[in-house]
Amino acid sequence: MTAGFVVQVLAFAVSALFALIRLPDAIRGRNRSMFACLVLMAVSTGLSLSVFYEFIDSLLGGVNVANLVLRISLYAVFTILGFKGAAAFGAPRARSAVAGPVGLAVLGATVLLTIYFFAVSELPYTSTGLYAFDDQESVHIYAHLGRLYPAYVAACISLPALAASWNRRYRPAHRTGSGLFGAGLAVVVVFAVLTLFGKLGAFMLILPFSAVILVVLGLTVMWISHRLSTRRPKANLLRERYGNVS
Amino acid sequence: MAPEESTADLCRRTGIKRSTLAQQLVRGKVSVSTVVSAARAYGQDPVVTLSSFEGYQDLAAGRRDPTPEELISQVPYRDILRYLLSRTDADEDHPAAPRVAEYAESIAVRPWFEAVDPGDLRQQLSAATGIAPQNISAQLTAGRLAPRLAIQAARIAGVSLTSGLVVTGVLQPNEGGWPPRGREAALAELSDAELVALARDRLDALGKVLRKREQDEKYNHALLENLG
Repeated sequence: MTAGFVVQVLAFAVSALFALIRLPDAIRGRNRSMFACLVLMAVSTGLSLSVFYEFIDSLLGGVNVANLVLRISLYAVFTILGFKGAAAFGAPRARSAVAGPVGLAVLGATVLLTIYFFAVSELPYTSTGLYAFDDQESVHIYAHLGRLYPAYVAACISLPALAASWNRRYRPAHRTGSGLFGAGLAVVVVFAVLTLFGKLGAFMLILPFSAVILVVLGLTVMWISHRLSTRRPKANLLRERYGNVS
Repeated sequence: MAPEESTADLCRRTGIKRSTLAQQLVRGKVSVSTVVSAARAYGQDPVVTLSSFEGYQDLAAGRRDPTPEELISQVPYRDILRYLLSRTDADEDHPAAPRVAEYAESIAVRPWFEAVDPGDLRQQLSAATGIAPQNISAQLTAGRLAPRLAIQAARIAGVSLTSGLVVTGVLQPNEGGWPPRGREAALAELSDAELVALARDRLDALGKVLRKREQDEKYNHALLENLG
């Protein structure tokens, strides 16, 4: 069992677990898109494990359509993270970069190109991560494309998230959550850039899946804080004593 | 002060932890609050006792009555508003009488600092002590000011040297020469116009703090609504 595999399983476990924790809220209609995002994260990380991949792909015809599903669900994950993250951190520039014409064009182009390069590749039998077809140029391009859109969104959102973690005006728990979230996204960017320069060995798995873990933990810190804040009665600001004012 | 006493007795009488005192004695630097507690425990005037230490010699001589501005800086805004309202209802038979919360509940260092500030107190204090101005501001924002700084600030501002120790809670008001009903007397001296202006200034300041707090709440809420 390699370190990469452990991180991979852990990433699947935390995203599935914390998606499940949000289920009751989602049924009640609270932040369903973030629930969907975590479910899709669990789908994406799950499909990167052979156990699930081989089973699902056999249902889908055994020609690696499951890998395409993985890619598309990953794009959906980052679309949600981008929209929600930009709104959460009040970052108008990040928002226009993700949800504006450029962001949508990048998304549309990535989806179309991903489908195109998937279609032109020779993928006759099930292979998790398409490792068996590593020798095809179109498979390489397909893999790079899969990292492009996530890296684009992560670059837009990680900066405001990391800035929030330094901002004293946020509560300590929210600074922690933003820090984990932003660090995870930063790892996504670093990973995508590093893959342009060659093989990463064990880090090929460790980097992206530890990014998933960081992002999910950050989101869960926010979720816990949200739960606690709905239980706490609203503070009466006038009742507090302000040492600065007297 | 009490040469026949052991440190154990001193700790018992003052409530200071033995480890804390031992550490301070080893380093040869006993904290102001330790000296004050010890003086109280042996029935001595803490200000006189402090004056026997190097750097604090002029403290007892510098203990004077606080200025009206200093006294009023330690009146919570609620008491100012209540007094203003009670003046509007007052007549010959029912004169308005100011009522102010206990010192223990209302001392605040930053309002005092601003009340005695001739305009560049932070800079002067920084120059005199070598502490960076932003460090001084951070202490004030947190509602603290180190005793050395509090005394030096009073010295620069030309007010009673013990005032800074009173508003930081190191000295009891009576120990620092603050009269028990001094704040009420200072309020009663204000003309109607002065009292209204004071209330306006306090509400302005409170409004600023509250606006910032509400803004912070909004940011935190946006974070939770979207990611939580």
